[in-house]
Amino acid sequence: MSDATTLDPQAVTDADAATRSQTSVIDQRPALDVHLQTARSPLAHLFTARADANAGVVLEEKAFLGHLMLRGDPAQSGFAEAVEVALGLALPLTSSTLNLNDAGVSIQWLAPDEWLIIVPGEEAFAFEQALHEQLSGRYQVVNVSGGQTVVSLSGAQARQVLMKSTPTDVHPRAFPVGRGVPAVFAKATLILRHVSAKEGESEFELVIRRSFADYLGRWLLDASEEFGVCIKA
Amino acid sequence: MTETRTPSRRTSSGGRINRETSLNFTFNGKRYQGLAGDTLASALMANGVDVLNASFKYARPRGLVAAGAEEPNAILQLGSTESGQVPNVRATQQALYDGLEAHAVSGWVKSQKDLMSRFLPQVGKLGGKFMPPGFYYKTFMAPASLWMTYEKYIRKAAGLGRSPLENDPDIYDHLHQHTDVLVIGSGPAGLLAALVAARSGARVILCDEQEELGGSLLSMSGDCLDQTLDGQPASEWRDAVLAELAACDDVLLLPRTTANGYHDHNFVTLHERRTEHQADIAPVNSRGARQARSRLHRVRAHRVIMATGAHERPLVYSHNDVPGNMIAGAVTTYLTRFGVAAGDKLVLSVNNDHAYRAALAWKAAGRDVVAIADARSAPSGALVEAARAAGIRIITGAAVIEARGDRRVTGARVAAIDIDGFKVTGEVEELVCDTIASSGGYSPVVHLAAHTGARPVWSDEVHGFLPALGAPMLKGFDACGAANGSFSLEDVLVAAYASGVAAVEACEYPVADTIVPAVSALVEAPMLPLYQVPHDKPTARAPKQFVDLQNDVTAAGIELATREGFESIEHVKRYTAMGFGTDQGKLGNVNGMAVAARCLGQTIPDTGTTVFRPNYTPVTFGAIVGRHCGALFDPMRYTAMQEWHVAQGAKFEDVGQWKRPWYYPQGSEDMHAAVERECLAVREKVGVLDASTLGKIDITGRDAREFLNRIYTNAWAKLAVGKARYGLMCHDDGMVMDDGVTTCLAEDHFLMTTTTGGAAAILEWMELWHQTEWPELDVQMTSVTDHWATLTVTGPEARALVGELTDIDLDRDNFKFMEVREGMIADIPGRIFRISFTGELSYELNVPANYGQYVWETLFAKGEKYGLTPYGTETMHVLRAEKGFIIVGQDTDGSMTPEDLGMQWCVGYNKPYSWIGKRALTRPDTRRDDRKQMIGLIPRRKKAGDERIVLQEGAQIVFDPDHAIPMPMVGHVTSSYYSPTLGHGFALAVVKGGSARIGETVFLPQADGSTLEAEITAPVFYDKKGARQNV
Repeated sequence: MSDATTLDPQAVTDADAATRSQTSVIDQRPALDVHLQTARSPLAHLFTARADANAGVVLEEKAFLGHLMLRGDPAQSGFAEAVEVALGLALPLTSSTLNLNDAGVSIQWLAPDEWLIIVPGEEAFAFEQALHEQLSGRYQVVNVSGGQTVVSLSGAQARQVLMKSTPTDVHPRAFPVGRGVPAVFAKATLILRHVSAKEGESEFELVIRRSFADYLGRWLLDASEEFGVCIKA
Repeated sequence: MTETRTPSRRTSSGGRINRETSLNFTFNGKRYQGLAGDTLASALMANGVDVLNASFKYARPRGLVAAGAEEPNAILQLGSTESGQVPNVRATQQALYDGLEAHAVSGWVKSQKDLMSRFLPQVGKLGGKFMPPGFYYKTFMAPASLWMTYEKYIRKAAGLGRSPLENDPDIYDHLHQHTDVLVIGSGPAGLLAALVAARSGARVILCDEQEELGGSLLSMSGDCLDQTLDGQPASEWRDAVLAELAACDDVLLLPRTTANGYHDHNFVTLHERRTEHQADIAPVNSRGARQARSRLHRVRAHRVIMATGAHERPLVYSHNDVPGNMIAGAVTTYLTRFGVAAGDKLVLSVNNDHAYRAALAWKAAGRDVVAIADARSAPSGALVEAARAAGIRIITGAAVIEARGDRRVTGARVAAIDIDGFKVTGEVEELVCDTIASSGGYSPVVHLAAHTGARPVWSDEVHGFLPALGAPMLKGFDACGAANGSFSLEDVLVAAYASGVAAVEACEYPVADTIVPAVSALVEAPMLPLYQVPHDKPTARAPKQFVDLQNDVTAAGIELATREGFESIEHVKRYTAMGFGTDQGKLGNVNGMAVAARCLGQTIPDTGTTVFRPNYTPVTFGAIVGRHCGALFDPMRYTAMQEWHVAQGAKFEDVGQWKRPWYYPQGSEDMHAAVERECLAVREKVGVLDASTLGKIDITGRDAREFLNRIYTNAWAKLAVGKARYGLMCHDDGMVMDDGVTTCLAEDHFLMTTTTGGAAAILEWMELWHQTEWPELDVQMTSVTDHWATLTVTGPEARALVGELTDIDLDRDNFKFMEVREGMIADIPGRIFRISFTGELSYELNVPANYGQYVWETLFAKGEKYGLTPYGTETMHVLRAEKGFIIVGQDTDGSMTPEDLGMQWCVGYNKPYSWIGKRALTRPDTRRDDRKQMIGLIPRRKKAGDERIVLQEGAQIVFDPDHAIPMPMVGHVTSSYYSPTLGHGFALAVVKGGSARIGETVFLPQADGSTLEAEITAPVFYDKKGARQNV
């Protein structure tokens, strides 16, 4: 059921009950004007704009994106197809890979039964609904948009910053574009993905839990300092 | 005054120094000048500074012996400021920079004298015969009670240098490296192996501890005796290889980088000294930014190639520690690489050809070679012939048996010796000289290969230990060159090529064409094994023959150890301290084993093998810590409202990694005053708590309800949509593990809350049970702890205040206690849970965390007229304790059942399917009625002011205060506070059989001998019927 009325058990029809499990799905995004005036991203206090044309490291918080956790059994008939219909992206079935498109939609394999879907923030509810529409059987879609943020890390020294921080091998041979992993990062964890490499310069995305954002943000600024940092706001 | 004379020890030409750039430095406060390219050691030598330290045990003057990591004596204190102090720096490994300040580590001697005069005044003076090996063990053994006192002084006396008293202004960092091939050592072997791997496309790291890459090639003098590679002088071949390697994208060249530890699975720690050659405090980089003074590379390599070369062994002869005694290769290196002669008149004592280079280089520098004593009866190789041709006197079948001199060598006693008979066979000849160089052969530097426990293997061919290649602990590990016992340049290159190819193949790259360079021929005759040189007196009576210079271990000391029954080399080492400390036996281990073997009449391999542990050379703590210090020491987790809390001056409490507001002091309030005010605000008006840290897990699936039935002790079958219920979790041993409120959001959808500290572990626990025990259940779970910001609004005015923010109907009959509603909260979509941890009317507002601070601020904008007060965890603790609500982990300790806590109402023994903990809870032990049970305690008030008595949390409880000590302890206080609402102190506690003892008095003996009394009560102190939360 893809509406906000499921707290009322009478709203569940028999037909619905027969085909899909009943979950409460609410649009968690306020009206656009309210959002613009009230939202505070996890790194807003730290990533204030900093210009440096020669910076070796470029950081940018991609705030307020829609983050959906998907759980399910890819062996279950119709599961992969349903995800593809809902997202317009194939479900990655190879470990530690991600698929993404120009519309800002991505889906990343996290575990044999777990994926991270990132979509434009204002489209989170629509995608959540679409997934519920398409999926059936054993699955879960959970909106975790408030609990995570994305940091884009690029620049000539981006890989050096990662090497200071994570034991994951980030060499392009081991970590090409399209690869993503949950990684130990400093003394915390995050999800690390290699999203593009234009003209030999890589862009990595770091998906960070909100409560760790201050620590990880300060770690990143510290690790980047010797290379010069540009922060896009 | 800066010394302006041209240092006489500097040669007129040659070396890898820049004679145009002079650098100022000081040693022990005196000013000197060196040249760019010098090490501190070569600069001191060029200035004629012979004595650099006093020895550890005997306080004998000591000078330079070696030119690299094996240097045992020249360990100095560096730093021009207090904060820049660096102990344990080997002068041979420290590049000279302008302004360098170094000091001898004089603390040893002073501390030794202090130790002796304090405890052994009868000894009177320092002297060898009073300090035999095992001296400390024997002398300070009794009385045992004084050991602690002795130890303090002994430790002080054992130090090498001192730590700075001020904070280190430098930063250090880590770099995680992954590579196909890690090559350690950049001599000819390392260079060729790296080249083969790099040309084949492998990812390569080549590291070397020296300032420049090139290893032994750097010490080649460029004269006709040097071998050529493919017709090129060695230095040109080196330059070409390095240029090619540097041009490869996937090759990392790391000079000044010591491989200090080899660990399991080819994990190698490299310590890169990045600015130590520039200043004692790291300068800013070209961007003006801070840079790490040193860096720890944490390397995971598919293949490791150890090309660490060999250390020359000195010969062991009497007074071989007097400054001016050196190893032959060091004499060569100082001449050819740094343009410094160790003295004017050289006597060389050798057992091999290679060491003749020292005499040849010495002669080429225009110095006088007095003689070469060669232990072999008929030495013959090309270098020997070159020495003869140069007119150098060679005394065959002989060795230096004793050095003359005190603070500098003044002569050498040379005699014919019988090695097998261990005796001097001819007349002793006295030669006048100022330098004695010796060479007893070459010990492969096998340290790294031994770090994982693979014991090196003795080779009778090499007369040294070789790495135990092929041992299970050395999987993916190879060695080549001198490190593996190949000494001729030809053999070295052939072996290095093979190692490179093997590594490339193991990494599954096609091997690129590389040809082993052709080497010009150089015939070297075999060496003759010789370790300790016989003296004309027996070892015990001969002047000291040092084996381990850093630890002052002598051949006589080892002999004594064997006489006293120490036959294993491991015992001998511990008895004598040989190979201890920063030295790790680089020069002395093999000689020490040879002495022990001779005394025991056995071979060196029979005597044992040698073991080395990380680190190869000392690593500064800064590099180990990296950036994990100060503000980055450990993650601190914050909620979405953190900035507000900070702005309001909140004091914070650590809860796991979370920082939670503890209390919000106003003005000069202390914690007690703030907590009393916050408590009363909640009881009388309205307060708000940031409860975002509570664990939250979204659980869905057809079997979600059944899953909860099995995870929790209580029943979930009948919880209706929109309703919430308190749940208790037990471990499978029946002991309470976690608790929280779980809400039914839809028929197949639940939101579970857990304790703040338990959140991650409970999710893992549930995944474990689901994945391994009940995979058939249709249930999925995902953490939403960080997603929802949670604001607990509680107090009599809560309804009125929340009503100003939300469109949800808060009417008491339409939105009852333990229910949930969805709707808009300050124009933000969210949920409101009507649950209470304070006993007051409470609404928990959940909004997506990006809007948490906004909703929080809006609440305060509306809350002033209601007297809204923020409260922290301390007030939360008091309020919940007044209601007898437990906190798992504070009131429980993993040994309490639900019944122990008086929570049998929360256990569903009749649920149809078993649940975790049920079986354990039916054991007789968990059903005993004399278990420690949760009760309340109210301190007995006997006089005015006693209402302020607050029992100590953790205080032990006894029934009979007059019982003889030890008293039977029957329980303890778990939570204790002053209640401003009740007007007195109160506590939660566990007492054996306590629930049947309501009204009885118990006693709490205090540390000061007094005893407090308290009455056992029911563990609910306030609003026992729960009327206030149901309004």
